[in-house]
Amino acid sequence: MQPFDYLIPKDHAEASALLAAGGGSVRPFMGGTDFLIRARGGFIRPQSVVDLKVLPGMREIRQSPDGWLVIGAACTMNQVAAHPLVLAGYDLLAQACNSVASYQLRNRATIGGNCCNASPAADTAPALFCLDAVAETYGPAGARRIPIADFFVGPGRSALQLGEFLTAIHLPPAPTGACGAFNKLGRTKLGDISAVSVAVYAWEHDTETPRRDWRIALGAVGPTPLRAPEAEAALAADASPQGVQRAAELTAAAARPIDDIRASAAYRRAMVAVLARRGIEAVLAGIARAGLQAVPFGGVPAGSVSPTGVLREGRPEQMIGGAA
Amino acid sequence: MTYQTIGTDAPRIDAAGKVTGKTLYPGDITPPDMLHLATLFAGRPHARVVRIDTAAAEAAPGVVAVFTAADVPVNEYGLQIKDQPVLCGPGSTLAGADRVRFVGDQVALVVAETEVQARAACKLIRVEWEDLPVITDPEAAAPSLAGGLGDPDPTRPVPFQLHPHRADNVCYGYRIRKGEVETGFRETDVIIEGVYRTPVQEHAYLQPEAGVAYLDEAGRVTVEVAGQWTHEDQGQIAHALGIPKEQVRVIYPAIGGAFGGREDMSVQITLALAVWRLAQRGIVRPVKTIWSREESIIGHGKRHAMKIYTRWGAKRNGKLTAVEVKVIADGGAYMYTSNKVLGNTTLTCTGPYDIPHVAVDTYAVYTNNVPGAAFRGFGGPQGHFAAESQMDKLAEALGLDPVEIRLRNILTDESLLTVGTPIPGGVGMTETIIAAAKAAGWTQDEAGQWRKPVGLGTRDQGSGGRSQESGIPNPQSLVPSPQSPIRHGLGFAAGFKNVGFSFGYQENSYARVELRGAGEIAEATVYFAGADCGQGNHTIIAQVAAEVTGVPFERVKVVASDTSLMGSSGSASASRLTYMSGNAVKGAAEKALAAWQNEDRPAVGEYIYLAPKTTKLDPETGQGQPNFAYGYVAQVALVAVDTETGQIKVERFISADDVGQAINPQQVTGQIEGAAVQALGYAIQEEWKAREGRVLTDKFSTYLIPTILDVPDQMDALIVEVPDPNGPYGARGMGEMPFLPAAAAVAAAVYDAIGVRFDEFPLTPERVWRGLRGKG
Ligand SMILES: Cc1cc2nc3c(=O)[nH]c(=O)nc-3n(C[C@H](O)[C@H](O)[C@H](O)COP(=O)(O)OP(=O)(O)OC[C@H]3O[C@@H](n4cnc5c(N)ncnc54)[C@H](O)[C@@H]3O)c2cc1C
Repeated sequence: MQPFDYLIPKDHAEASALLAAGGGSVRPFMGGTDFLIRARGGFIRPQSVVDLKVLPGMREIRQSPDGWLVIGAACTMNQVAAHPLVLAGYDLLAQACNSVASYQLRNRATIGGNCCNASPAADTAPALFCLDAVAETYGPAGARRIPIADFFVGPGRSALQLGEFLTAIHLPPAPTGACGAFNKLGRTKLGDISAVSVAVYAWEHDTETPRRDWRIALGAVGPTPLRAPEAEAALAADASPQGVQRAAELTAAAARPIDDIRASAAYRRAMVAVLARRGIEAVLAGIARAGLQAVPFGGVPAGSVSPTGVLREGRPEQMIGGAA
Repeated sequence: MTYQTIGTDAPRIDAAGKVTGKTLYPGDITPPDMLHLATLFAGRPHARVVRIDTAAAEAAPGVVAVFTAADVPVNEYGLQIKDQPVLCGPGSTLAGADRVRFVGDQVALVVAETEVQARAACKLIRVEWEDLPVITDPEAAAPSLAGGLGDPDPTRPVPFQLHPHRADNVCYGYRIRKGEVETGFRETDVIIEGVYRTPVQEHAYLQPEAGVAYLDEAGRVTVEVAGQWTHEDQGQIAHALGIPKEQVRVIYPAIGGAFGGREDMSVQITLALAVWRLAQRGIVRPVKTIWSREESIIGHGKRHAMKIYTRWGAKRNGKLTAVEVKVIADGGAYMYTSNKVLGNTTLTCTGPYDIPHVAVDTYAVYTNNVPGAAFRGFGGPQGHFAAESQMDKLAEALGLDPVEIRLRNILTDESLLTVGTPIPGGVGMTETIIAAAKAAGWTQDEAGQWRKPVGLGTRDQGSGGRSQESGIPNPQSLVPSPQSPIRHGLGFAAGFKNVGFSFGYQENSYARVELRGAGEIAEATVYFAGADCGQGNHTIIAQVAAEVTGVPFERVKVVASDTSLMGSSGSASASRLTYMSGNAVKGAAEKALAAWQNEDRPAVGEYIYLAPKTTKLDPETGQGQPNFAYGYVAQVALVAVDTETGQIKVERFISADDVGQAINPQQVTGQIEGAAVQALGYAIQEEWKAREGRVLTDKFSTYLIPTILDVPDQMDALIVEVPDPNGPYGARGMGEMPFLPAAAAVAAAVYDAIGVRFDEFPLTPERVWRGLRGKG
């Protein structure tokens, strides 16, 4: 690996200036788990890296006054997955973070790095798509916010401009009774990059006639992570066993997989249907179980398991090699 | 017989150093003032090097020297035959050495002050290539062999010749004719035919190739490296440098795994060449190199991919009457040990059975792939996959239990091998099969017939999954509901393989034991050159020396693996070291003890153990006595198959191994577990991919080996002890055996679960999924 300099910026403005001045030869650096592999392989030859972890707020998880959850971009996978606020309202994201590689790697890998690397297989992305996350960035023009679906532009390409970097992920307040399931397939149980991943998420809509909304997002089956809007709509209309099957098929139809060293396009598409169906069934089971709990004032009872948390014990041993 | 140290779990003598990080592996050794060597690999599968321009590299910062083919005195090497240039390029002492035949051929060496400088300068070497046509399919390289069972058709034209010495591109072959195979097939009630393909496998040892070379105090070109046979490395280095063996010294520090992948040269000759040529220029400095993982994966040989055509006949009672086999092994670009690997496939492709009529033809073929090389089991896993899959199909066709049909045909002390001679005594095949079967819940009915535990597999689905009678309780696995996509299955397979070098080679092993002290023996020192690659051999020899001399185990010192201090102990391969070193050290210790009683101080005993003689096989009939000892194994796999995703989980794996006498049971268990996991990786996960001779899986992110979470929930290592008549304390070799039948056991279990046969592996989720779809 070519040697490079390691720079510690004093504030956001300096970090941005360093990145902007360096063109492509100065790179943002967080956990380094993607970066170092690319540098060692000679795919990038940076002159220096700017360590963004040290900037204020980058490693914090907090609730904003308007009820949004703000996750600093440099929070590690383990940090996110174990955080009480995440577990209380966003278990789907915890599942995704927990599915990344090994415990040791999750101590190092950050949620922001996962997004900025912009791999279509990034495991946190399908969850973030389902949760309607918004990326907050800082650049020469100051801060801006980008909906997560616009943040991923293509394989390895994000919406970030020169000198701009990710500072935080914002999640809208968790709807009552929300429930999610993340499933993925890799070739080993630990450490392989996903060949397919599917996140499923549902919540009750607060309208006069109760309605359930669905989100389904896919990883590793397109140039970016994808949503499956037709499947989501179909499920909202019909979540009977036939409806679930049809939604799974619509999800598979939304995938745009390719053949690569990990799997063929045909296998990937078929697995999207399987994982989608299992995910939907798990979410329905989770909702059914959560419904049995008497929830006062429509909120989550203090000290109890969040509805999404139910899936943890409830997730059947269906997946042999999938995410834990 | 009770022993003092033999049969105990003596702690490994290398444990403390390795656990505390004190032990140095070749890549850790950093003498002061050393230089760094980087290797320019061909990177193309078949081409002629027209010209090499090293000027820019030589002028680059920090570069001390650049070496090419013209710098190699005798530009050839090879363990079995010298068919590979050390460096490929023009100006070689050898005609034809200007050609690269696979991506890992080496073209030039750069020596520089730092590793970064050496690697950077490597990129400045300008090579003018003339690409040549690439051939990667053995049946295309040797068209005479294509098309299934039967004699070769020499009239088919060879596309081009890969080596001057083989007009037909066939680098080796064997032929066995026992009885009259046509007569045998006339007597059969059932015939099963199959075509099996086995994949390439990468050794994936933790420590990539590395070493340090220097001139020692006696002026010898000294190489510290990880290998498998110090004295053979020494010979090959001396040959390439054109200097006497005595001027070369090879030392093995700690070795980070080998599995056969270090039997052939990697950095040995190139490091020695660099140090020696630099010294001639007045530069006397140590030189170090470490291959990257990618270089390691393209740079060393692999397990041979094989295609096996086979036809088996049996009578209604399950007795085998005739077997016909044709094996085509992809030898890759050079011979390496293809001839020896093929020898084992030749003996194992008919399984551990007594068969009256046999016709076996095996071939290894040159191609432009990474060479086929030694790898744990040495041709045995491939042969057993075909043989044991055939037995599973025969059992089904005849309505016989898979254990029962095996026991009806099993090799015993009385039976003749396919090579027409009895197997050397102490055949523990029957005991081993019974041990594995019983552990898995097999029982014998009133008539004495073995019966599989009921309640497992597809055909038991109606009963709602696994019954209580199952011998395999597994609390973690869900009892499948009728809707569950999970199916369970149980598979059985057995195997055998020789121990030690054979086929007429006089097996030998050197050891010296020195006893020091005054009245009582205070300490024993064992000098032994055999390589401890991590398998624990040096602990075994300390146990043997302690046993013979009565010196406590803790006071036995081992001085190992230095050609300047001891004679050749042979290779760390062919499951031979416990057997050979045990006998050698036992002999030396007995002599030392006699010298001690004779008042010699220090008392020294030197001994070369010679194993029983073997013979070459007759070229026409294959008859002979190729081996002096064997080891035996039987395995059971319990798998869960997800019928929607194709994923397989091995929930429980049982391996029963006849080791003769476990000198150190803990180490035997370690070998069984390690081999089983490595074999399950081969069977299920590890998928080598290459396109037109270029390797696509040259990283551990693309070539996946099992992780700890992929290991079966339950592993049973069962030690069977049927003494070998000539082994030390009755021990026989065992390091390879638990690898042999695993892929066949898994394939049988998967068939039991889902009713789909796989004659090719690895059984990746996608392959299983396709199999399931193809079925309906
Ligand atoms: C063994 C192994 C297993 C893995 N398994 C998985 C897995 O199962 N699932 C999965 O999704 N990923 C996996 N990964 C990939 C990787 O660990 C994750 O993508 C990780 O989250 C990246 O975070 P990081 O902090 O290490 O990023 P870094 O490597 O520091 O950065 C990643 C990229 O983003 C850029 N970048 C970093 N921070 C910013 C920022 N704030 N603003 C702008 N650009 C930035 C960097 O320049 C770099 O290009 C694995 C990696 C390894 C080595």
